[in-house]
Amino acid sequence: MAIHPDILRRYAAIAEKSRDEMIAPDGAVRPHYAPLMARLGKMSEGELGRRFVSARQYLSEAGVFHQVYGEGVEQSHEWPLGHPALVLDRAEWAELCAGLVQRARFLEALLADLYGPQLVIGERLLPGILVGRNPEFLHPLAGQAGGSAPLLSFIAVDLGRGPDGRWWVLGDRTQAPSGAGFALENRVATSKAFPDVSRDLNVERLAGFFRKFREMLFALGGPEHTRIGLLTPGPHNETYYEHAYLARYLGLLLLEGGDLVVHGDRAEVRTVDGFQPISVLWRRLDADFCDPLELFGGSRIGTPGLVRAVRSGALALVNALGSGILETPALLAFQKPLAARLLGEELSLPTIATWWCGEEKIRRYVAENASRLQLGPAFAGAPAFPVMGETAARPGERHRDVPATAREGIGIVGQEIAALSTTPVYGKAGLEPRPVTLRAFLMRDEDGWHVMPGGFARVADSRDARVISMQRGGGSIDVWVPSTTAAKPVTLLGPKGDRFSRRLPGALPARAADNLFWLGRYAERCEAATRLLRLHAARNSEGWSAGELEARLAVLLREYGVEIEDGHPQRGLLALGRQSADTASRIRERFSPDAWRTLEDIVALILEAIAEEEEDIVELTSAILTHLSGFAGLAHENMYQFTGWRFMQCGRALERGQATAAVASALVAEAPPVGALEALLTFTDSSVTYRRRYSVDLSQQTVVDLTVLDPLNPRSLAFQVNTLAEVTAALPGVHLGETPDLLLRRLARLRVRLQTADALEVDTAFLDRVAADLALISDLLTQRYLLSSPRAAAEWSGGPE
Amino acid sequence: MRYAIRLKITYDYPAAVTDARHLLRVRPHADAGQAPRNVRLAITPRPDEHARERDFFGNDVDAIAFFAPHTELAVLMEAEVAVERPVPALELSPSAPSLAEEALAVATADGTSPLNHLGASRLIAPVAPLTAYVAETLGDGLAGEAVMALTRRIRDDFAYVPGATSVGTSVAEAFAARRGVCQDFSHVMIAGLRANGIPARYVSGFLRTEPPKGQPRLEGADAMHAWVDVWLGGELGWVGFDPTNGILAGDDHIVVAVGRDYSDALPIGGTFVTAGPQETDHFVDVIPIG
Repeated sequence: MAIHPDILRRYAAIAEKSRDEMIAPDGAVRPHYAPLMARLGKMSEGELGRRFVSARQYLSEAGVFHQVYGEGVEQSHEWPLGHPALVLDRAEWAELCAGLVQRARFLEALLADLYGPQLVIGERLLPGILVGRNPEFLHPLAGQAGGSAPLLSFIAVDLGRGPDGRWWVLGDRTQAPSGAGFALENRVATSKAFPDVSRDLNVERLAGFFRKFREMLFALGGPEHTRIGLLTPGPHNETYYEHAYLARYLGLLLLEGGDLVVHGDRAEVRTVDGFQPISVLWRRLDADFCDPLELFGGSRIGTPGLVRAVRSGALALVNALGSGILETPALLAFQKPLAARLLGEELSLPTIATWWCGEEKIRRYVAENASRLQLGPAFAGAPAFPVMGETAARPGERHRDVPATAREGIGIVGQEIAALSTTPVYGKAGLEPRPVTLRAFLMRDEDGWHVMPGGFARVADSRDARVISMQRGGGSIDVWVPSTTAAKPVTLLGPKGDRFSRRLPGALPARAADNLFWLGRYAERCEAATRLLRLHAARNSEGWSAGELEARLAVLLREYGVEIEDGHPQRGLLALGRQSADTASRIRERFSPDAWRTLEDIVALILEAIAEEEEDIVELTSAILTHLSGFAGLAHENMYQFTGWRFMQCGRALERGQATAAVASALVAEAPPVGALEALLTFTDSSVTYRRRYSVDLSQQTVVDLTVLDPLNPRSLAFQVNTLAEVTAALPGVHLGETPDLLLRRLARLRVRLQTADALEVDTAFLDRVAADLALISDLLTQRYLLSSPRAAAEWSGGPE
Repeated sequence: MRYAIRLKITYDYPAAVTDARHLLRVRPHADAGQAPRNVRLAITPRPDEHARERDFFGNDVDAIAFFAPHTELAVLMEAEVAVERPVPALELSPSAPSLAEEALAVATADGTSPLNHLGASRLIAPVAPLTAYVAETLGDGLAGEAVMALTRRIRDDFAYVPGATSVGTSVAEAFAARRGVCQDFSHVMIAGLRANGIPARYVSGFLRTEPPKGQPRLEGADAMHAWVDVWLGGELGWVGFDPTNGILAGDDHIVVAVGRDYSDALPIGGTFVTAGPQETDHFVDVIPIG
């Protein structure tokens, strides 16, 4: 039994005006949609709802989200995945693939010509001004086409289906195409919701494509099996999630410009184990930002000298610097002659009709037909993601005036306003037809170009949206290419027969180590402040009138930025919570999503308390501490205990040691006030242990012994120093038997001091000295392993006169 | 005319810097109008890396790098240059409108092509009132003579005020204030010409320090100077105009580098890592030696 005829009739009635992917003009379900609709038809509303929830659950657990920009604030939003998938007819897909591969070959040939002999300009097939004035034509890379590495290896093509039923090219993405990782996540999530359906339809898998891509990257690296990196603009980029996800999925190092350094002609990664060579980067950073020395000098996220390394041939980028020139909308106006010259073929995929206004005759045509055309910039600079119009024009730029002269027209194109096909998506009122665009992905290896069997489809949030944009509330759906044979599972694991050998992870980039170190510190700092605040609040609620002890606690809290007196201590906690969560989000690829979410939850918890003017500090702080111990547990139980984990442990132990020293010092200083010893025990969470080990009467000596010197108490100062010494000894570059460097010597000395001290000597001076030693050890550790200060530009403030 | 040229650039970094990379464009250019010889470049401290290169526009580039901490950088360039530039036959240039058409018909986009110098660049964007200012000066007459008139008009209308602007001053600001130094005048002129379809590029170089007897001292002679190359058609090619002094760039001008704007031709650029401030100074001597 198929889907209920009434529902189909209702859907067909709305879909009538445009071409629909599912319904033919005669109202019948197209054959390639029939199996899907038959299965959906059998599902009750309740069942559908449950299936959608399981997809959403997967996405939220995996931490898939996207950034939305507005009024200067970045916000993470739930990933808007719709259902069902866009289903493509197998025969039609094969034809589309052939067209896409041909297009990729065309783009490759065009790029090689523009960064090579420029025959198309010399032969007047392309106006030279489209290169001369093109901001994406990168001068330092002119002539690069002669090298051995291919200039293009991974591209995307945006497609829309016209009323004639053909797929039309809306634009090319060659600079740093995004969306492949999201396509993969959409696939996983959709398969969670409809595992039976996708199996029954034999939907083609995506993993094979990624496996080929990965093999290609490693092949580019040559026989030495060097590391491969994914170069990202960093956590503030809107597609950073995808970068982290793909790096993890493909086993690449996630690198920012600051992680790289160029020595001679070679690019190297700054790691905690010194500089390590790297020869291939999958570039997700726009070219102009890659090298402040030879490209945009204002870039703070690039690597000085990167262009040198590329020019020398020692570093291959996927795609080449400068490949963004292929995204120039004006090039779409010259497709035919360019393809004829470069391929000797006619392109089988049509391109959206485009007119370049730099020629007077054409400018006049555009002026006369302005009402049915859309005007937009002729040169590239299209946002990489996720704004994708049905034409290359950017929203906000479409009501541009028709240029008065051809000279003004050089920067402007007119494009046909494409009518998109619609595809069924479950909305509030059941299945609704929504305009859809398809982003197809291609990769190239020695055998040529391969198309990802699927893609990233975007749907508008309403029927007649002209611009499909996730920033504006649109969504995305999976893309299914059913096959006639059962899909064979493919994974990224090596072929059968590969000998398994367990290998340790490669050297840790210094920036990642730095973030892990600080994550350890910040989480612990948050905990220390929370404990102090809870102590203070508990005494308050127990009816103690504020006295000397409260005053001392308030001073300690102020050190952490938590103000008691203004009545808003939560704000200080919020800052500390945010610090931890932000640091964790910067290294998400090295973390379990659960651990990261725990920290986000703390922020949410405090925000909620502030919003609701919750005054019960004890309750809030207790809840935070529960989350923090959850985080610590996850980090301890689930993280791979190698170099990265060690840096986090170092940060944690250092911070905890310093906090314990500072708190103990403040509490035992001259004439400890009433309750100070209990407070110290509570702060170090050692009350229970104390009661079991010592008599009920508190003495300063025994409390100090337990909280400062006892090496078996995991909260004692001595325990932190021991941990630090053990973990540091396992860090790279530490070889037993060699003369220890300053860092190790300092640590060893501190360790001995705590081992040999008597509880009687532990006074404020002793504790302050330990705190100072720990600060110095932190500096030494940073200097040795983590140092990566911000870069400054050499200023020529003299200026010419 | 022959000159002995000395250029000294110094940087002071009180807090020390590491991982420094610089590109220097300080060597006099060799072309039909000028022949450098005995060019010496001394750099202290000694760079860890030093490579000589040629950039897209044909400029001589010294790429240097220092990895160890250092607290100062000194670049000393000394050269002798013989300059003999023919006076361009401005009367042979086409009219401004046909020059604009001729430029667009050029079918090369290499480093010498006028097509690289028609649009906006990093530091130059069109400014509507400036476009009109240049358009009224250009008129429909011969482009060469019109550009000369524009060169003089800028010198007359603008005040030469060292320190009034900085490297970051935009074309719009400099035009509105009608004052600045050679770099501002050059950027203003380039922006106005390009917006009128005439290819124009930025030139960085030296100016004779002491004038011949009886002539006034030229502005901008104590530091690196900047002026404008204008493309006057296939016949005349690139011709230099100095809007700071209202003259053609002649035998008193020694070309070092050209580009779309200052950022392509700057004498020293680069990045380094430091926690502290930096101070920089430079001086230039251009002495006739017969």
